[in-house]
Amino acid sequence: MEIVKTLEKIVGPDSVSTSDTICQTYSYSSQLGKAWVTKPDIVVMAETTEQVSRILQVANRHKVPVTPRGACGVGGHGGPLQGGILLDLTAMEKIIKIDVENMKSIAESGCSFFKLSQELFKKGLLLPTAEYGPGPSVVASATTPVNAFGKTRYGRNIDLVEGFEVVLPTGEISRVGSMAYADSDMAAYYRYITGPDLVGLFTQANGAFGVITKIAYRCLRLPKLWAFHSYYWPLGKIDNVTKVLMESTAIEMFDVHINDRWKYAGLEHAGKVPPLPEDCYFIIYFTVNAENDLELKGKEQTIEDICRKHGGAYLPDIAESFFAVWPTFFSPVTNPIFSELMNVSRETTGGNYLSIFDGPTYPLTWFPKVYTKLMEIGKKYGIWGFPRLTVFDGFAMKSQVMASQTWTFVDLKDQHWMDLLERYRNEFREWYGKKGGVFQSSLPPFVPNYVWTNQPSAHALLKRFKGLLDPNNILSPGTF
Amino acid sequence: MKDYTEMELKDFKESVTLCLLCAACFYRGPIIPHNWRELPPHEWSSPLRKCPSFEYYRFRSYTAPGRLTLATLVFQDDFPITDDLIKIIYTCTGCGMCNEICPTYLPLYAIQAMREEVVGSGNALPKPLPEIVGNIEQFHNIFRRNIRARVLEGLPAKGEDVYFSGCYASYRVPNVAKATVEVLKTAGINIAHLGDEERCCGFVPRYAGNRSLLKELAVHNVEAMKKAGAKRVILSCAHGYSIWKNDYPKIVGDLPFKVIHIAELFAKLIDEDKIKFAKDIKQKITYHDPCFLGRHLKVYDEPRKVLRSIPGTEIMEMERYGKWAYCCGAGAKITLNCYPNFAGAIAKERLFEAREVADTVVTSCPVCFDHMKNIAKKEKIELQIYDLPLLVAEAMDIQL
Repeated sequence: MEIVKTLEKIVGPDSVSTSDTICQTYSYSSQLGKAWVTKPDIVVMAETTEQVSRILQVANRHKVPVTPRGACGVGGHGGPLQGGILLDLTAMEKIIKIDVENMKSIAESGCSFFKLSQELFKKGLLLPTAEYGPGPSVVASATTPVNAFGKTRYGRNIDLVEGFEVVLPTGEISRVGSMAYADSDMAAYYRYITGPDLVGLFTQANGAFGVITKIAYRCLRLPKLWAFHSYYWPLGKIDNVTKVLMESTAIEMFDVHINDRWKYAGLEHAGKVPPLPEDCYFIIYFTVNAENDLELKGKEQTIEDICRKHGGAYLPDIAESFFAVWPTFFSPVTNPIFSELMNVSRETTGGNYLSIFDGPTYPLTWFPKVYTKLMEIGKKYGIWGFPRLTVFDGFAMKSQVMASQTWTFVDLKDQHWMDLLERYRNEFREWYGKKGGVFQSSLPPFVPNYVWTNQPSAHALLKRFKGLLDPNNILSPGTF
Repeated sequence: MKDYTEMELKDFKESVTLCLLCAACFYRGPIIPHNWRELPPHEWSSPLRKCPSFEYYRFRSYTAPGRLTLATLVFQDDFPITDDLIKIIYTCTGCGMCNEICPTYLPLYAIQAMREEVVGSGNALPKPLPEIVGNIEQFHNIFRRNIRARVLEGLPAKGEDVYFSGCYASYRVPNVAKATVEVLKTAGINIAHLGDEERCCGFVPRYAGNRSLLKELAVHNVEAMKKAGAKRVILSCAHGYSIWKNDYPKIVGDLPFKVIHIAELFAKLIDEDKIKFAKDIKQKITYHDPCFLGRHLKVYDEPRKVLRSIPGTEIMEMERYGKWAYCCGAGAKITLNCYPNFAGAIAKERLFEAREVADTVVTSCPVCFDHMKNIAKKEKIELQIYDLPLLVAEAMDIQL
């Protein structure tokens, strides 16, 4: 094929493959499982922005779809929605700059978020929205929403992004936000430049408007002291739980996180954790930090005051176990507790992890309605409670919104349960969409051919942008 | 994920599944960056570069999740076993880094199961594996040799302490066998050797996916040890040790004798004051953990203890050491034989890493030793390379 020869000239023959076997391994995400696959025809590995530019020019000439991809495939869908070229960006993984004084960092797109996070930590800086495992790249964290810890005060990664170097679908290299003047004497220092904010166009876009090759983050100063606490409530006190979420988020604690008891049901069943108190249904975890003991004690007292006021009871050790105990939950697969949970799942359901909904984002005031609806439909289809271990995982964020995920353990090969799950998804989506809820992960479609219809004017504008920037519709086609 | 070697392959095939694809096992970042308060302790300070085949071939297919995905497809969806697939499966070095990081999915077991599937389905193995298997069947060793290290010939065929020298020390690096024997003799151990009754331990068949040959060899070697009256089987080869320790009991049941690696035995003999060093070794030394002694059997401290006990030595650690040690590239003797360029590149990286901190690298496996020595010579890397028995013998002033 002529296109293969051309691509080989750009990146070298060892960085291009048309092998069916190699292409096949780029087709999956854990979220969709192996039941759904669109295999790329060619995998190309780029090492420089210029190579990415030339690859896109070639793809445009041949009108071949291009899907950029990093290392992992946990949330969202890392594989292509159509065939064509899979642009593997894992080799572009350098940290370009850490500016301690101005608290900025710039990295190549394939750089592991953890790699950057650790280097920042060593220099007394912090990117609070830590991911799960070293696989997610610094750019994947901005082009998909990402649920993790530290969002309550700082929002998602996207809120910390200040600039991109991006290769447009036609191959033109652009720099937006602080990257627009990154090479100047003052260097990259602020997202907002003269004119509208173009950074936003490329966030949460799944690579549809351009291939991001460099990213600039604003960083935070690493606080000296940390504390972790958790409180619990019975199911009947869901309104109290909501008040706690709202009040603690309003004062911007570092992190406020909520789970229901199903997170621990499997481990309880296996005798791996002590039984939770009988009236423990919702657990809220608080992470606070401070510069000195007095400040830390004050924050801890505030947590206690809010929780006690709304009828919460203290649950020792659990919050601490997320992070303070090595290995932390930053890398779940490494954690023996997670391994135990997976073993329970395999034994009880033959299952593997599957995220049912990743990234529904709604006002905190809607938490009781959303949770109750998830539970109601879940019960209807028999996927609520033991042994399905369907877990609610909520991240209370600044702006008084909740980004939640709901995950379950299900045998991906068991069509009966997969069908029930699909019906669960569809029924919830229909209700949620009509209420105005949005999904911010796995941007449309969450599953192939799914059309999200409740934000029509914004989608229409995005489609116009897409048409203008990508006249041949080559870049991540199917996303918009 | 259960160890498939403890379950039927058919059951494993049904239960294997896609992993989370989180990439913790191969991607270039720490698995845990910090815990907000501090950097991880060494136990959780994983290195940036972890998976040798990903670092060399770079496509995600050559990673544990890539291989696990292919295993799932082959086992459950009749995905074809092509030459490309065979290459992907056999370029895994078996170093065990992925299992170390991911106790949840333990991807190495799926890779091993895939190799059995390749063999079972009658596909051609990568060259020269068929030839090596033929050598084992005909000559009982991987090298097609008849004459083993001279030092072994003079040993009694029966005894309580029996040295299982293995193919490498017997035929390829006989000085390792000689050093092992002489050190043990000097320490007062009446060492025996099975002679012609010693057969290849079955490591290559095991990692090539030929379980039936492994079984045959296991049964023979264990029976021979019983007949020899062994109470303790001593190995200097990390590969052989892992087979004796991890695999043989699963095949023949509990062994009626102790199995010990020379590094463990040396450490014990030093404690008992039976090994006495006669001269200083004034070298800056770093220790390369063989994958099959380290990650596969968790023997990390004893060889370091031995090195520290040698007068004059200055012990330095490489950036990747202990449970995070990088493979030397020998790759379960599969990559070494089938993909020498890959094996060489990985060794080169490891040797440069050693040279960053030391002028001498010591390992505890004749396979790793031989491979690193050959690559250092080829690449003109100025580094002294020892297998542990050789250095101990030198420090004891034993003339080999």
